[in-house]
Amino acid sequence: MKILMAEDDFASRKFMSNYLGKYGDCDITVDGEEAVDAFMMALEDEEPYDLICLDVMMPVLDGYQALKAIRDIETERGIPEKDRVKIIMTTALNEERNVKKAFEMGCTVYSGKPIDLDKFEKILKKLELIE
Amino acid sequence: MGEDFNTESMLDIFLYESEQLLETLQNVVLEQKDEDCFDDASINEIFRAMHTIKGSSGIMMYDNITKVSHKLEDVFYYLRESHPDNVPHLELVDHVLDVADFITAELDKIKEGDTPDGDESQIITELDKFLNKIKTGITETGDDLPPENKHEEPKQFYIPPTENESSKYYKASIYYRSDTEMCNIRAYTAVYSLKEITEDMEYMPDDIITNEDSGAVILEDGFHMLIKCQCTKEEVLEAIGDTSGVDWVEVNECTAKEFEMGFHEQEPAPIVIELDDKDKGKGKEKAEEKKEEKKEPTPGDYVIKGKETGKGKKLAKNQPKNSPKQSYISVNVEKMDSLMDMIGELVISEAVVLQNPDLKVPGLDLSNFQKAASQLSKITTELQDVIMSMRMMPLTNTFQKMNRIVFDVSRKLGKDIELEVIGENTEVDKNIIEHISDPLMHLIRNSVDHGIEAKEDRIAAGKDPKGKITLEAKNEGGKVYVIVRDDGKGLNREVLYEKARKNGLIGNRPMSDFTDKEIYQFITYAGFSTKEQVTEYSGRGVGMDVVVKNIQTIGGKLEIDSVEGAGSEMTLKIPLTLAIINGIVMEVGSSTFVIETNAIKEFVRFGKDMLVKEPDGEEYVMLRGECYPFIRLNQRFHLEETDSSIDAEDGIVVVLEHENKYVCIFIDTLIGEQEIVVKPIPSYIKKVQGLSGCTQLGDGSIALILDIAGLITDQERR
Repeated sequence: MKILMAEDDFASRKFMSNYLGKYGDCDITVDGEEAVDAFMMALEDEEPYDLICLDVMMPVLDGYQALKAIRDIETERGIPEKDRVKIIMTTALNEERNVKKAFEMGCTVYSGKPIDLDKFEKILKKLELIE
Repeated sequence: MGEDFNTESMLDIFLYESEQLLETLQNVVLEQKDEDCFDDASINEIFRAMHTIKGSSGIMMYDNITKVSHKLEDVFYYLRESHPDNVPHLELVDHVLDVADFITAELDKIKEGDTPDGDESQIITELDKFLNKIKTGITETGDDLPPENKHEEPKQFYIPPTENESSKYYKASIYYRSDTEMCNIRAYTAVYSLKEITEDMEYMPDDIITNEDSGAVILEDGFHMLIKCQCTKEEVLEAIGDTSGVDWVEVNECTAKEFEMGFHEQEPAPIVIELDDKDKGKGKEKAEEKKEEKKEPTPGDYVIKGKETGKGKKLAKNQPKNSPKQSYISVNVEKMDSLMDMIGELVISEAVVLQNPDLKVPGLDLSNFQKAASQLSKITTELQDVIMSMRMMPLTNTFQKMNRIVFDVSRKLGKDIELEVIGENTEVDKNIIEHISDPLMHLIRNSVDHGIEAKEDRIAAGKDPKGKITLEAKNEGGKVYVIVRDDGKGLNREVLYEKARKNGLIGNRPMSDFTDKEIYQFITYAGFSTKEQVTEYSGRGVGMDVVVKNIQTIGGKLEIDSVEGAGSEMTLKIPLTLAIINGIVMEVGSSTFVIETNAIKEFVRFGKDMLVKEPDGEEYVMLRGECYPFIRLNQRFHLEETDSSIDAEDGIVVVLEHENKYVCIFIDTLIGEQEIVVKPIPSYIKKVQGLSGCTQLGDGSIALILDIAGLITDQERR
């Protein structure tokens, strides 16, 4: 599985890359813009990501902007629903309006921080990303 | 940062919405429990409720809730699509209530922070059985089954954070000895070790790594931190450590709000100042617009600008589009409580200002001050009224719950009982609602179980075989009355008396010593039950005493009245508001007491001839030929002063009334009437009979609030 993670906080980055590392190749970016670039690059190379984890509070582009950009690119390229990348927002913002907005904009999973790893794994299974 | 307040987390919203839905669902079901079947509107309502719960619990990944609600949704899907005739209605009611109970229980677990791990399989099997019955019912009548109810798997999920909500906030300061070098680096070491345990922190000065001069600032003013974490004060102290050079460390807990405020004295106000007069109107509009906009997060709101190490993240603030105006907002109860407390404090500090000893300097011209003061008093009084009215809620929900209890218990006991509800719109303080729900439930259960007789007995006694319980609420004279009345067998004087005597509650006093009401009060004693057999619902003798205790904590009282053979009536009398009362301040010796104005009957100038002294030392006051018990507060509360003024004949007798009983107390000086913020007596003081609380007066001294009911019962006992 090919994973992309955008996270500006060093500690979270280290923790998540360790955790996600056991499921597949994990690329890391430190802001939203880089994440979109990385997504584009992978698409160009025809090796798209299976899973993208986006922090919300990030420099340059925030998680929402990155999410929107990624979904827009997919729409523009006519990628069918089922082939779209699964996007997990990881953030400490847990207000309902934040979650609703993210869902509206097409994120797959919204995970509050600190991350509940049991549920995280359960979801990965449910999304058929891991066995 | 202001918009971080007043928002609910995803989980809160899920819990709130689901509970709301379950409540309406229960009401719909109970309303139509006696009909032959649900009408279309209710079927739709239940279907929709289940559909919503299924969807949202799916997103939240509470699988068992999803499964159960999905099943029930299926049942109602068939009811909605093909209107089968021969549905066993009562069975269906039971199923719906079972599901509602199951989900409520799971929601409670979630609220407590546990995993909702209830086993749904039994309910599912039962519902399946029921569903099959309906399905065969439909095919038997020759109709086609409607197409299967399509169940869409949710495509989006939400993982709540593992953190529990109880983060603590601290303000910490480190001061270094004046000869310490490189304070900034030492401060950074402390910050670094704190980062391990904190969820978020901010510090000042914030440029400790980049700016060497910050060391001097720290030496001068100390190093200040705001910390958000899960740990105790001790752990924070330990993390800061006792490195060399540290003079002293200070850690204090603070509120979330102070934390959010950061080190700025105040938030920058979003006011647009227009220099040009013509544009003034426009400027105002803009300011108003800004106030309203704070709803939807928009992409780009959370971009972090110029982040520096450890510094609180600065976001490109969101100024999203206007959202439609709302006429209601829901507010966290805790916030209301703290507002209420603060208004209480405000009333106290108002008194501190207005009665300040500095104002008593002779020859001061205070006319302007007095004007301003009366304006201030007016506003604080209004403020109190507003907060009180904000906290008022109708009893409707509480009463509706009782409906369910009567239904459940009466069905299990095989009794046919109707519940009549009167005055459910009566409004009382939210605090009171929380406290009366359980006692009320208990009283209702008692009425159903003990009060109303079995059907055969009722017919034999010539009564309507259908029992009736009336639940009534009304507002009267600053008190709320909640009455539970049944038309059952009533209480039996002799049985109660015998039982009390056997249990050794009353010694050997003859029955004639007690009034009816006093005998009925026996049932509120711990361990007292006249029911020979213990049932599932009542009869264990635990309960009535707890009811009374609960009611007493909110300053209320339980009264019991009964006519044997015709029924009984339980009345809860509860004061409308709890925190602020009108009271009269008075002095006895050098101690200050407060008495609630409502309790005072009259003031009488003391005359020596009024006092009657019995040989056993008891004293009475004769007033217009009536005799009242007399209490000297200094003796009663063991105050040290000698009782000199009683001989000097310049004291005042206050006649107090409670529940048609009177008592007189003797005081030295009247000080005046004012609003009193009631504070509980701190728990380290042993409970003193006759005092209900304390308060702070304008001059900062503490006054004790007399508990009239306590004084009277205490006097009677002596």
